[in-house]
Amino acid sequence: MTLQAPGDGTPPAERGLVRSPHDLAGGLFLIAVAILGFAGGFDLSMGSLSEVGPGMLPKGVAALVGLFGIVLVARSMLFFGPGLERWAWRGPVFVLGSFVLFGLTIDPLGLACAGTLAVIFASLADPDTRPLEIIVFAIVITAVSIVLFKYLLGLPIPVFPFGYDPF
Amino acid sequence: MIVAATLGVSDLVGFLGAHVADLTHNLAFGMDVALSFKNLGLCFLGCLIGTLIGVLPGIGPVATLTMLLPITFGLDPVGALIMLAGIYYGAQYGGSTTAILVNIPGEVTSVVTTLDGYQMARQGRAGAALGIAAIGSFFAGCVSTVIIAALALPLTNMALKFGPAEYFSLIVLGLLFAVVLARGSVMKAVAIILVGVLLSTVGTDLESTQLRLTFGWLQIADGFDVAVLAMGTFGVTEILRNLESVQSRGVVEGAIGRLLPNRGEIRQSTGPIVRGTLLGSVLGLLPGNGAVLGPFASYTLEKKLAKDPSRFGNGAIEGVAGPESANNAGAQTAFIPLLTLGIPPNAVMALMVGAMTLHGIQPGPDIINKQPDLFWGMIASMWIGNVMLLIINLPLIGLWVRFLKVPYRLMFPLIVLLCCIGIYSIKNSGVEVYMTAGFGLFGYALIKFGFEPAPLLLGFVLGELMEEKLRQALVLSRGSFLTFLERPLSATFVVLALVLVIAATLPAMRKSRDEVFQEPD
Repeated sequence: MTLQAPGDGTPPAERGLVRSPHDLAGGLFLIAVAILGFAGGFDLSMGSLSEVGPGMLPKGVAALVGLFGIVLVARSMLFFGPGLERWAWRGPVFVLGSFVLFGLTIDPLGLACAGTLAVIFASLADPDTRPLEIIVFAIVITAVSIVLFKYLLGLPIPVFPFGYDPF
Repeated sequence: MIVAATLGVSDLVGFLGAHVADLTHNLAFGMDVALSFKNLGLCFLGCLIGTLIGVLPGIGPVATLTMLLPITFGLDPVGALIMLAGIYYGAQYGGSTTAILVNIPGEVTSVVTTLDGYQMARQGRAGAALGIAAIGSFFAGCVSTVIIAALALPLTNMALKFGPAEYFSLIVLGLLFAVVLARGSVMKAVAIILVGVLLSTVGTDLESTQLRLTFGWLQIADGFDVAVLAMGTFGVTEILRNLESVQSRGVVEGAIGRLLPNRGEIRQSTGPIVRGTLLGSVLGLLPGNGAVLGPFASYTLEKKLAKDPSRFGNGAIEGVAGPESANNAGAQTAFIPLLTLGIPPNAVMALMVGAMTLHGIQPGPDIINKQPDLFWGMIASMWIGNVMLLIINLPLIGLWVRFLKVPYRLMFPLIVLLCCIGIYSIKNSGVEVYMTAGFGLFGYALIKFGFEPAPLLLGFVLGELMEEKLRQALVLSRGSFLTFLERPLSATFVVLALVLVIAATLPAMRKSRDEVFQEPD
């Protein structure tokens, strides 16, 4: 499960200042989240202790998150730890992309099109996918889910493009 | 457990005497609700569909529940909750089936089951392993149903006396438990809970009605939906993880063997089932990874008690019976903090809060008095659900095996489609669907940086409640933090929290904490 970068095997001495790239990345990630949270809550008033304002918790928690980030970064310079994990590109691009595709197409085009498209697009995340098989499969499972969700369970989900509904 | 300790002995004695009659009366009332033709059907359907999705490798209960949430939308709250609970148990049980037959745990709680379960399956004893898992789960389910029913009234009565200060201290204690019981780095667990709390502040502030952290994006003015967050960080991330791991998915070929364990196997399993049930019930009450800890602890215990520990890992039936009972017991007692205090102890229950809110139910101590049919009906349906799982699963194992043989290249696009439809249906808008993709990426990043997504979800759900109670408490005390120490019950929680933090940092404690989470070998 844990894919480790090839750099993991290098002797500690050759790693320079950063002794645990994994912790460094985690710390920087937290700092980024903290900055985002602080920026988003910048205009909110803190209030006082007896009357806590809307900004107290977001800014306070963001500051704590940032503090943890800084500690993690500091630790990454002091203690040896694992290297960075390798990120896959194929899975995230196609799986996440297929969610975005579905979100964009469902309202204008309806489940019949959006569902089939999303299934086919997602399947590209697996290099072993077979074109003909996945096209047939996509059409079949979309049809089944239309019957199940729209007509048996009665969810108000558009099925055909531009609100057209023959039934 | 902690809460039970503060109840005092006299409460307990009084409770035992006068309330046993009440208990049977309440359970009978619940049975009445749960046994109606419609609710029975919904329970059955929930268990069946839950198992169906739960059997899919790498789909845990959180993702299963989110995916299937929309099918309960047309139902009344009682029916919907009964069905959701059924889906949850089904998903749990389906996970064990996959663990035994394919050696892939559906989620962390069935990791232990893969060890001996899969070995038994390879020896042609898959039937016995599945059978004892079902029987153990059934026994555990029966016991924990009674425990829930018995603890419900005293805990609710206590919770009704809580002021904001007590609630705040209890939530902090709960979150600390979640940290201590989490796997991996304590610091990272605390940090990620805080990120969850930060996410919970996004949207309109209830007191000042000001928008917070929305960056002008009006779609998140109501805050993030817990289902969107859960689906992104659990469901989508699980798919991405599975696509990466090059596990061979060898479905056990050949005979499943006889389904009912023989007399010797039953005798071997009785002790582990009873011990596993007790361990699981107690640990399930704890916030955080409590329910996850049960199976691990049970496995370790059985291995220690065994005359010949070397059998473990080579198909020892005790290694399936104990952990599976603990798993199911914990899965059910985890409902107690949610139903009585309104505090979800783990990620699945956090999602349950979201589901209940969608159906207009506010989880907490008021449910039991205001909606007794809902409360007792749901508890009774837990027991009925366990009977159903026994009836559904054993005859349908052949079907699950066929299902497991569907290659992953077809399985995951199907899961993606179901996730999309599920998320779209929550608000009938496409925006939620790509928000889910965003949280998917966020969850993927978390995993790559060594953070667990479960504390995030817990922090997110409890964050809102925590802020509300903190602000109320400080208004009442005119800004003095001493209020958390001046009120005895609140002070008790604070002291317990301190003890927990000190204990967790002791070297000896840290060592044994790491040992428990070692995959037993």
